[in-house]
Amino acid sequence: MNQLAVVLVFLPVIVSIVIYLSKWRHMNIVAIASQLALTIVAVVYFTHFYGDFESTHIVLGGWDSRIGISLANDELSMSFIFLSLFSWWMVLIYTFRFGHTEHSFLFFLIFLQGVFLGLLQSNDLFNVFVFLELATIIVTILIAYNKKGESFRSALYYLIVNVPAMLVFLTGIILVYFTFGSINIVALTEQFQDVDDTIILRFSYVLMMAGISVKAALFPVFTWLPKAHGVAQSAISALLSGLIVKAGVYLFFRMNFLYEGAGFAYSDFFFMVGVLTAISGVMFALSQKELKQILAFHTISQVGIIMMGVSSADSDMFYGGILHTFNHALFKSLLFLGAGVIIQVYRTKKVGEIRGVFKTMPVVSIFMIVGMLSITGAPFFNGFISKSIIKYGLAEQGWRYWALYVINIGTATSFIKMSQIFFGPKTLSYPLKNMAQNVAMMALAFGCVLLGNFYIPFSEGFFGIRVEEFDLTSFDVLLDYGITVAIGLVFYFTVIARDLKPVRMIRESRISFENANLVFLIYIVALTTYFVFLS
Amino acid sequence: MNPILTFLVVLIGFYGLSTSDNIIKSVFSVTIIESGVILLFLNLGNFQGGSIPILSEDLVSIVDPLPQALMITTIVIGSTVTALSLMLCIKIFHHYGSVKWKEVLARKDVKS
Amino acid sequence: MNNSIRFLRQFVLIALLGTIFVAFTMSMNELQTLYNDFGQQYFFEEGLSDTGSRNLVTAILLDYRLFDSLFEAGILLIAVSGVIWISKHDIEEKNARFMIDKYKTPDLFITFSRLVYPLMLTFGFYVIVNGHLSPGGGFQGGTIVATAILILYYIDPNKETNIGLIVTVEKIIYLLIIVVASISLVTRGTFFTNFFDPSHDADTMAIYLVILNVLIGFKVALGLWTIFTAFLKEGR
Repeated sequence: MNQLAVVLVFLPVIVSIVIYLSKWRHMNIVAIASQLALTIVAVVYFTHFYGDFESTHIVLGGWDSRIGISLANDELSMSFIFLSLFSWWMVLIYTFRFGHTEHSFLFFLIFLQGVFLGLLQSNDLFNVFVFLELATIIVTILIAYNKKGESFRSALYYLIVNVPAMLVFLTGIILVYFTFGSINIVALTEQFQDVDDTIILRFSYVLMMAGISVKAALFPVFTWLPKAHGVAQSAISALLSGLIVKAGVYLFFRMNFLYEGAGFAYSDFFFMVGVLTAISGVMFALSQKELKQILAFHTISQVGIIMMGVSSADSDMFYGGILHTFNHALFKSLLFLGAGVIIQVYRTKKVGEIRGVFKTMPVVSIFMIVGMLSITGAPFFNGFISKSIIKYGLAEQGWRYWALYVINIGTATSFIKMSQIFFGPKTLSYPLKNMAQNVAMMALAFGCVLLGNFYIPFSEGFFGIRVEEFDLTSFDVLLDYGITVAIGLVFYFTVIARDLKPVRMIRESRISFENANLVFLIYIVALTTYFVFLS
Repeated sequence: MNPILTFLVVLIGFYGLSTSDNIIKSVFSVTIIESGVILLFLNLGNFQGGSIPILSEDLVSIVDPLPQALMITTIVIGSTVTALSLMLCIKIFHHYGSVKWKEVLARKDVKS
Repeated sequence: MNNSIRFLRQFVLIALLGTIFVAFTMSMNELQTLYNDFGQQYFFEEGLSDTGSRNLVTAILLDYRLFDSLFEAGILLIAVSGVIWISKHDIEEKNARFMIDKYKTPDLFITFSRLVYPLMLTFGFYVIVNGHLSPGGGFQGGTIVATAILILYYIDPNKETNIGLIVTVEKIIYLLIIVVASISLVTRGTFFTNFFDPSHDADTMAIYLVILNVLIGFKVALGLWTIFTAFLKEGR
């Protein structure tokens, strides 16, 4: 039964190759069918092992677990598996028509799913590295898929920035291997329980974290993200922002679980990184004028909020961060898909030039509004739950609370700016013809509302945390949100709408490629100083 | 060779990445970093000395075979990354007429 | 002004690299005492009886860590499709013309290529088939075979290559590799290992290693061939 974990990885891989080789015109149906089969396998696997995730651990080939590669699942990886299955469902439905003709697109897309599921389940450090590299390469190809000049340069930038980071990660693995004689995460976790505090251990932690930070687009190494996510096709952007960035966040959890026995005090450092990530993401998003660029920068800011949550040792905040990972995947995919439809119809990406969306396409607008309410943290939508959990955790902690508050105001302002596209008279006619796109967006919007109202069974079922103790429906909460939006409105009309000089300066500031790499080195040195020299 | 020396190769690669504006040179810098990492891993596998990891009757000790196996994987990854990025370089040159990051990134999108 | 900023930047860069170097040197000093050779000893003692391969690198690649190797081959598969897709509009026509100018390639080189070509091909196959006994294996031998094939382009610049066919064969071989690797599920109850269990003698177990090495060798050779051809076409 536990060999099904391998099926989860290889079913998409095999199906994708069959799709690539086939000449049949309706391969998108095969893709949907395989996705259905995969979902069934995952559900069977989950129900079989629910409550007893210890026994999911298998060593491929049946060797000693310190030698072979092993796969294992727990609550966290299972919930990520279901999240990725859901995301791929949405993308496959959204691109259903496109998939008719583009077999190689489906090939890369579905292969990526197999790789991602492998990454989630893998329990071997080098195997994780292989999956990460493979995912990087496939994502590069998917970004370049449009074959425009812009997409080529973003793809290459993405590749060249990410591969050195992965090699730094590999160097960390090398140090671990020669100190402990194994690279199996389960075996290492046991060995780390009573480990001596050595420099080599700390340095390997630093190198791994540096690599992961680039993948997760943390401050100051996020320069690749807006380029890549702003340029790719909307469906791919949705997948990248919603899920693939979370690979970095997921590995952040995994590595910190691994190094738990060593007892590093990482909490303060990564909280600061999270705050800086969130603030810089919001700042750049406020200055942008293109629809997808705004959304891409908001991915950075939301990853920052997630980091603020998960860096904490306080378990409530930690689970708030994890919940926010899920919620962000839902609403950011929704926003990207909606933006894709709008850009397709209006043929421009500029927020200033798009007007009258609500009259032209009311259905898409409603979905977009749901997404916007979620991301700004409106009550009864899902973003609100996780943000509130983090907020409650920070309530007593002075500046940290206000930092989150400022970020929320920035997010609200930015989406007030974006909501300008809804106003205005009807300029175009948009026949509601591509049902598949609307179905995908509807499912995501439905998910946002559902999680926003029935979060208690979800978070208890998966993570076993109790969230009832937070009173999330009182009048205070509404008032709080109202104040945030009001400040956001004032800020929008006084600063952003007039396009003052500082805003323009932020928009036009660019970091050159060499300096981006210099910044990466500075980040590694900062980590080294904090974790190695100052300890 | 000393593991510390091989780590210098990695650092030379990073030096190249953060000083060169040329796309092709940055691709090669990545290749240099990767060679450095591979050399480092192989060197550390030879930390205690030993003969090649092919068993015969009168062997006393061998070098660690795992780094060699893992490094084959890394080499394959590296070669594919190089192939892909050089292909993208060619395409970028066709679209923008330049292989300088500064010019390529500053350019507004041109019609393909 | 500009010069001094550049100087300062250079200084900062060197300082950063120096700091990383110092941290690395410190950790290397500790490795003298901490070095752990658990894996090394394990492979030395158990490797042959577990896998039937005298070459322990092959033993790890094709048995202990076969899962990695499958995705290693998968990376090549993706790269081939990716490079072809990115360079597609030039590749539409089935037959390519090449940038290698026949008149600029020295005659001596062409003659020697003719001489070396069969030797390289044979050596490549030797390395593939003997991967479990001597240094080599599917990946290494496949690269040699691919290089040998590439020499053909020097001998005959007008050589035509049907890329579509090669890619199809490559993908099918990859599927075959997965199938061969999974047979052990039936015979031994677990994925991705030798389909003979370790109670057999080394020569019997080598059957599996040779099959897998040959498949991987072909896959790698075809993949690299395709990538190289795509570049040649791009360079027109």
